[in-house]
Amino acid sequence: MSVEHYWAPRTLDEALGHLAGGDVTILAGGTDLMPQKNAGRVRLGRGLLNLSRVDALRGVAVEKGCLRIGALATITELLAHAAVREHADVLAQACDRFASDQLRNAATIGGNVCNASPAGDTLVPLLVLDAEVELASRPNGSVATRTLPLAAFLTGPGRTARAPHELLVALRVPLRRAPAVGRFFKFGTRPALDISTISIGFAASRDGGTLRDVRLAYGAVAPVPMRSHAAEAALDGAALTDATIARAAAAAREDVRPIDDVRASAWYRRELVFNMTRRILDDVAHA
Amino acid sequence: MTVIAKESLIGKRVAKLDAPEKASGRTRYVHDLDLPGQLHARILRSSRVHARIVSIDTSRARALPGVHAVLTAADVPWQRPLGVGRDQLPLKGDRVRSLRDEIAAVAAETVEIAEAALRLVDVVYEDLPPLTDVRAALAPGAPVIHEGRPPTKGAERPDAASHPNVAMTFDYAQGDVAAGEAASDVVVDGWFRLHYVTHCCMGVSGMIAQFDATGNLTLHSNTQVPFLHKREFAEILGIDPGRIRIIQPPIGGGFGSKLDIYPFEPICVFLAKATGRPVKLVFTREEEFLASPTRQPVLLRLTSGARRDGTLTFRVCETLHDNGAYTSWGATTPFVMMQTISSLYRVPHVRYHTTAAYTNNPYAGSFRGYGNLQATFAVEQQMDELAEKLGIDPLAFRLRNAQDPGEVTPQGMHFRTCGLKECLATAAGASGFLAKHAAARAAQRAPGRVKRGVGMASMLHVGGGAKIYPSDGCGTILKIDDFAHVTLITGASEIGQGSETVLAQLVCEELGVPLDAITVVNNDTDITPWDVGVHASRTTFIGGNSAIGAARKAKAKILAAAARSAGCAEAELDLRGGHIVRAASGEAVTTLAKLLRSLHFSDRAELVMTTHYYEPPSRHQDAAYKGDVSAAYAWATQVVEVEVDTDTGVVRLVKVTGAHDVGRVLNRLGIEGQIEGGIVMGQGYALTEDLVVDHGVVRNPAFRDYKLVTAPEIPAMDVHFIETMDGEGPQGAKGVGEAPAICMAAATANAIANATGVRLRELPFTPEKVYRALRSAAG
Repeated sequence: MSVEHYWAPRTLDEALGHLAGGDVTILAGGTDLMPQKNAGRVRLGRGLLNLSRVDALRGVAVEKGCLRIGALATITELLAHAAVREHADVLAQACDRFASDQLRNAATIGGNVCNASPAGDTLVPLLVLDAEVELASRPNGSVATRTLPLAAFLTGPGRTARAPHELLVALRVPLRRAPAVGRFFKFGTRPALDISTISIGFAASRDGGTLRDVRLAYGAVAPVPMRSHAAEAALDGAALTDATIARAAAAAREDVRPIDDVRASAWYRRELVFNMTRRILDDVAHA
Repeated sequence: MTVIAKESLIGKRVAKLDAPEKASGRTRYVHDLDLPGQLHARILRSSRVHARIVSIDTSRARALPGVHAVLTAADVPWQRPLGVGRDQLPLKGDRVRSLRDEIAAVAAETVEIAEAALRLVDVVYEDLPPLTDVRAALAPGAPVIHEGRPPTKGAERPDAASHPNVAMTFDYAQGDVAAGEAASDVVVDGWFRLHYVTHCCMGVSGMIAQFDATGNLTLHSNTQVPFLHKREFAEILGIDPGRIRIIQPPIGGGFGSKLDIYPFEPICVFLAKATGRPVKLVFTREEEFLASPTRQPVLLRLTSGARRDGTLTFRVCETLHDNGAYTSWGATTPFVMMQTISSLYRVPHVRYHTTAAYTNNPYAGSFRGYGNLQATFAVEQQMDELAEKLGIDPLAFRLRNAQDPGEVTPQGMHFRTCGLKECLATAAGASGFLAKHAAARAAQRAPGRVKRGVGMASMLHVGGGAKIYPSDGCGTILKIDDFAHVTLITGASEIGQGSETVLAQLVCEELGVPLDAITVVNNDTDITPWDVGVHASRTTFIGGNSAIGAARKAKAKILAAAARSAGCAEAELDLRGGHIVRAASGEAVTTLAKLLRSLHFSDRAELVMTTHYYEPPSRHQDAAYKGDVSAAYAWATQVVEVEVDTDTGVVRLVKVTGAHDVGRVLNRLGIEGQIEGGIVMGQGYALTEDLVVDHGVVRNPAFRDYKLVTAPEIPAMDVHFIETMDGEGPQGAKGVGEAPAICMAAATANAIANATGVRLRELPFTPEKVYRALRSAAG
């Protein structure tokens, strides 16, 4: 079976119309889709829908109390965008550890989120930013949208709550008032050009010497990127002492559910979770 | 009066002659070549690690439109075994012994059609018990990989040699090990495990085969040994070697991977014969990982002893080489390993046994360093261990046992030039080794999650060819046209290492002409004279001496003619800047072009065309592996500085300081490039590269999961050249191609031990492995 239809629409309406027909593969930057197709892990549907000309899916803007990131925003665009630095610094840090320049120029945030890799570089920072996904569809001729928390959107490795006729159109990151700290850490054999062995995202508000609203998320340690609520609880409202840090790192190590694969053993991933959580928190404590 | 000053090209920074073509993307590799009427070939490989083939049905594949031929073993009953061990047929008919085994091949109009046809070949297998552990391969009752194979040589060890899975053995001894043991005050002992890595040439394997109307065969081939392969192809194909012509398109890297004949090559020829059309077969990158040879994996046990005064007493080494399913050059790496064990340092008593055993794993070939990375890894770690036990610093201990110029080792190697002591002193001095080593050792237990350390290793490798084949020579034809343009026709192959530039430099130096006055022809067996091949770091030395010989004959003829017309003695004249000059004053007498034309268009009617064949004065080893196998030997010391992150196990290379005895620098830019490239290749071997072979299956056949070193991880490098001016070398030079990769893993291991107190004997030093070792040492 090969592709019978190729569409490159200019409007969201047209794009959703093609999707409604069923058995359609969505192409954005193509940096995940094409290697997976070439390796035989993804079968292309009868229709191939290239989104690159749909301007409504582009752009990054601050609106209605949130940072709205169009699904077609490339990693390079996010890296260069002042509003991303200001309101979602931990995401900008992750983009700086994302693959190579060539891939950053093509890869989109919508694609990275829908690919739903347990190791996806943008998922961990988006989780700690409490991001929501905005989905659109055209079930009976008119456009309908719904919004889901990212944590609910990610349902398994390579699996999401997106229905086949739905399109991820944007990500929303709520803006926060308190002075925030954010850290992204990625462990691989190279600084960026590698799939994460583990990744860690951290965000919190500072209230004098203590942290509030702590969010800690981990990639490549479970079927989907996950928050460690136990570690967050250990830190929330507490002073960042060595004992607190050790307690939080130990809680995270208990929470994660890694597997053995060609990149690392589960044991080593747990050790990294502990050691690197501790290192990040030490760094925050002394910043 | 024009005076021309004497200028030398030797030691200058000369850009490679092929650089403009390569940098501008004009170079046409085998991938880019298309012959009229050409078909495209693909190979179907086994889907089982070890199985009997019950049946192969190609009828559906043959019926696919656009398919011209589908071949299996049944279609070529005349095929003959190939490779170093002559233990495999190109197409396997009744049994597969590894996942790379070739079962069927298709020639079709396009690559896509050929691939579609492969999916239509139906193979029925009956699984056999897989044997994928080299220790298990020698157990009594182990499955036999090659039944009915004649017993291996090695009668002095009936135990090992009599096992049907033994593919090859080497046994060597010098002195009396029992006496050495008795004289030892300290002894160290350990097992070392060396892993699979592969060459990762930018240009993957490929070939185009074409028969002409009279049955002559032309191969466009990436081989490193065209003249040996003429003969081998003829033997496999049952045709006259004289009817085979091998043309080498520009080769995208070799590193030893193209020294043997592999099944895809005769298969490509079978398809060309079956279809009567040119057939092109180029690997995919995944296929390159799965079906090209690896570096030889080795399990090695080494025991070394020394006296209290710091002199080495003995070494005992035994190895187990995983031979894979078939025998290629990897099985012969003990030949080179032996030299490091016996002669890198002075050691009076040595016993050395190696066994290569068949398994159902991938098989290993030759790879830059040829076993020396593996042997050096063990020997140089034990040099540090002995020094530690004796309370001597690692530099002083090495200097105490280092070879000197003029020495003849018990193995029979004669070190006419030897810069090992200068290499040690220079690398240690430039890096501040002793102070850093002492400081890091003192700080092992200090607080801090990142530890620094420094380690050194030295190496000995052939630097003047290697007399393995009946001849280790190279031929040159040189001609100079009426306009003083020189054509150097050499048997020496260029595989990206820069040999054509160095050979051109050497000829221009003799003839006093600039580099833009020379063309090098080096890639067509119908044109170029014989050469044994590009391997063993031999091309500059052997090809260089051959080119100089031809150039000197041309120069003698030119000066004789010039002396006749100038009415003076030949010795009073010289060649400089494209002119005949008076040697004493540099005064120009005439241009070289004018002199050549006067010789051509005169009653003498002569052209300047010369030939030279150079055979090095080395000797074949005797049956006990003793002899002076190379005309010169290369030496080096490398000092590696590392940072070890004890929270993650990440080892970062901070700096490499190298001192290389290269005889003499010919092309400074070229040699720096070769050494830097070798250091990075050695870094990959030490830290990141790991071809994961799991029960016979390669788990990471892609650059996504096979980690080459990338630019941000490359350390600072400070490379020093020790110029010992070898008397036999071209302008004093020795070979350097393999040397820079050899020390890296050993020096890195020593640096990690210096930083952390933990000694690692298994490669590669991936973060998880290092972290585990640090944790288990911490208890």
